[in-house]
Amino acid sequence: MKARAIILILLFVFIISSCRNASKKPEELVLAGTGTLTEPGKSGTEVIEEIYRNYSSSLEIANLFQVAGVPFSSTYLASSLKAGEQTSPFEKALYLGILGADLGYLNMYEKTGTSMNLVASIKELAEGLNVGQFFDFENIKRLSLNRSDLDSLLFLSLDSYKRIDEYLRENNRSHLSSLVIIGAWIEAQYLATQVVKQYPEELLKDRIGEQKNFLRDLISIVSPYCGQDEKFIELCNYLRNISAKYDNVKISYTQGDPISVEKDGGLVITQNDSSIVDMTDEQLAAIIDITGDVRNKLIANK
Amino acid sequence: MKKYLLGFLLLLPFFTVLSGQAPNDPLVSKCLLSTGPNAKYLKDIRIQLGQATSESEYRYKANMSLWKNTRYRFTMCTADNSSGQLILNILDDSNKKVLSSHDAKTDTIYPYVDLICNKSGVYQIYFDFTEHQSGSGVTIVSMIQ
Repeated sequence: MKARAIILILLFVFIISSCRNASKKPEELVLAGTGTLTEPGKSGTEVIEEIYRNYSSSLEIANLFQVAGVPFSSTYLASSLKAGEQTSPFEKALYLGILGADLGYLNMYEKTGTSMNLVASIKELAEGLNVGQFFDFENIKRLSLNRSDLDSLLFLSLDSYKRIDEYLRENNRSHLSSLVIIGAWIEAQYLATQVVKQYPEELLKDRIGEQKNFLRDLISIVSPYCGQDEKFIELCNYLRNISAKYDNVKISYTQGDPISVEKDGGLVITQNDSSIVDMTDEQLAAIIDITGDVRNKLIANK
Repeated sequence: MKKYLLGFLLLLPFFTVLSGQAPNDPLVSKCLLSTGPNAKYLKDIRIQLGQATSESEYRYKANMSLWKNTRYRFTMCTADNSSGQLILNILDDSNKKVLSSHDAKTDTIYPYVDLICNKSGVYQIYFDFTEHQSGSGVTIVSMIQ
């Protein structure tokens, strides 16, 4: 009798565990009708949202750091940010984005074993917004500690954020989802601007300059919420202040034909179109200053 | 009864390991393994299409920002039960063709395509299955160092 009871309990635990994992993925597959687009026609705004609702900014920035040979530094991280002290959904969402960017930076440098406190803070913030169920804490923790499968860790971290974003938007909390995106972008921009001070590599300067267009579109995404309350007004003003520093940064384009080479069974295309950023040292310095100022104001626990 | 209990307890870690594996979509897991040792995951795009009757354009479109000074890898994986093979076409924001994983002249389909990106901007990424057949698949977008 006792043994049966134990088996039942164990089965129950196993079923619960299986159900938790089974709730993922399939809904993302869209079966197209004959000869139709799988993706419904999207408005301009929706296309912009599709592009800018991503949390990979810090991964791409960190990738560039690595290409430029920049070593890891924990001094850039928002370690002073205390997840437990945030009370309003506004701060929780914003900090979820900031810490997500830091997590991406740590992961790219494979500093995964030291990211546990950060992962715990992200979990706490997500739970505070009632979206903790989408942050796959246990698997992220396991993969972080194992250091064995970076791609799965990157996948799970980004996927958790994607699910949080989808859930917030589907449940009429798009303003919070926008805050997560803004937090992630500001932190990635902060990382780039801090690093370029020490490592003034052209490719880093270019990436910072190229944020001009990205920031313009980011502001257009959040603009519906800019008048919502004082906190949003302040945040939108911060973004506009950063954007103003880009006013005289110019981006031009040249054209060329791509070159294709077959290699190891795959195809390698070198694009010969190029984008060229024209930004003076003074303009860069102003962008570095305003970004640091805004980011540090945001993470100061009020 | 003790025998069954012992058996279950021995199997439990196996179940736990299985249920704890990530990601949960087997095709994504398989595809992640084929991106190469220097590839770092950035995004996955899952596609499922029915059979098309007409000679239409590539039927699935996604938009993505790609950045200068980055080498992107697009790894295409087609599910076993698909009739066609997953192929992609990338166009820039002015509809200029940047690349295709399908060389129509030689009828070669490349399992992955690397793009050494020199122009930051928004790109249109189109997918279909060969000859507009039905199928499901995933594309993993990674960065290569």
